[in-house]
Amino acid sequence: MSEFHDNYPQYEVMANHGEEEGKKNRRTLWNVFWVMLAITIFELVVGFLAPGKGWSGTLWLKTLFITLTLAKAAAIVLWFMHLKHEVKFFKWAILSPYIVFMFYTIFIVLTEGTYAGSSGKFTRVDPIFIEQQAKLKSGHHGAAAHTDDAAHTDAPADHH
Amino acid sequence: MAHSVEIDSKEAWGGGRSPFNLSYGKIFMWFFLVSDALTFGGLLISYGFIRHKYSEVWPKAENVFTHFPFVEQHIPLAYVGLMTFILIMSSVTMVLAVEAGHRMDKKGVIVWMFWTIVGGAAFVGSQAWEWYHFIVGTDEGALRSVWDQSVNNGAGAYVKQIWHGANMTVNEYGVPQFANYFFFITGFHGTHVFSGVVLNLIIFLNVIKGTYERRGHYEMVEKVGLYWHFVDLVWVFVFTFFYLL
Repeated sequence: MSEFHDNYPQYEVMANHGEEEGKKNRRTLWNVFWVMLAITIFELVVGFLAPGKGWSGTLWLKTLFITLTLAKAAAIVLWFMHLKHEVKFFKWAILSPYIVFMFYTIFIVLTEGTYAGSSGKFTRVDPIFIEQQAKLKSGHHGAAAHTDDAAHTDAPADHH
Repeated sequence: MAHSVEIDSKEAWGGGRSPFNLSYGKIFMWFFLVSDALTFGGLLISYGFIRHKYSEVWPKAENVFTHFPFVEQHIPLAYVGLMTFILIMSSVTMVLAVEAGHRMDKKGVIVWMFWTIVGGAAFVGSQAWEWYHFIVGTDEGALRSVWDQSVNNGAGAYVKQIWHGANMTVNEYGVPQFANYFFFITGFHGTHVFSGVVLNLIIFLNVIKGTYERRGHYEMVEKVGLYWHFVDLVWVFVFTFFYLL
């Protein structure tokens, strides 16, 4: 089988390492795993408690989840996908589109995103939702809003 | 790890070598993953806009996803949490397989890749189970206006009735877009997981056959590992945006 070869020695074989270095690598990888597990459990606990404590939908909760997710994503990309140890130029070739993309997205959502929630004009939507939304807008929370939703809206209170 | 090699600039720019001290195949996989991530990014952003538009009537995920296999009680988000754990574990076993490959440890690669495939298959199966319960719905259901063509002498009209489960036009949990986005985003991701499992299986068989021992390196395992980590990464984002926020 003929493979394409550069003039330069093969990078694939250069990446191989012995048992000593392997042990160190494995320890690092398991540490990254434990950190990610801790973050996920924390997220789930907070997500579980949120409705009961009235945290749902708050800005700080959303920011917290997004930050933790980005931390987990960074851990996967940098260590599991090995990007941290690649040539610096390549690392930035992959990461900079994302960083630019993220900032650009946040900017666009904040400046142009207002149309999505403003008029509240639904087209061809189940009238039940329009009623619900009108009730919520006029401040009738509680019973009216929950009757039409899935019966589990009050699940944490009812079933535990 | 990256080996820093001294190269003079004439050799570096002289052509005939892959840049960044990486083989062409690995660079390709990375750039493919960048493009695929942008696709998922587009889907998640559109999800964000629609969710914001319907934010008052959008269902709370912890009320919808409460089922756990073989358990009667409703435990919010428990099964989804388990699925996330399984997928992250399979990512860990994958990276351990790659590390074993770097030591030319064929047995190690086989063991770790086996567990990766098992984890991936478990995730796809779990996702299918979630879809089943989502589509079938609960006993209580919800009041919805459903289009009935037979009413009004065949002209059709919206009829209020108790609806169970979900399809692309109406679901018991909330606005139709909730189900649409659930199916599309988790389905698109699930397709990636499934194709990843298939690819892992093919490479696994090649490892057993000894193809990479003969070749002298296990870089194919690394490349398919990059794809697998990407799949895990996307799930981390989908899990956050769909189930937590």
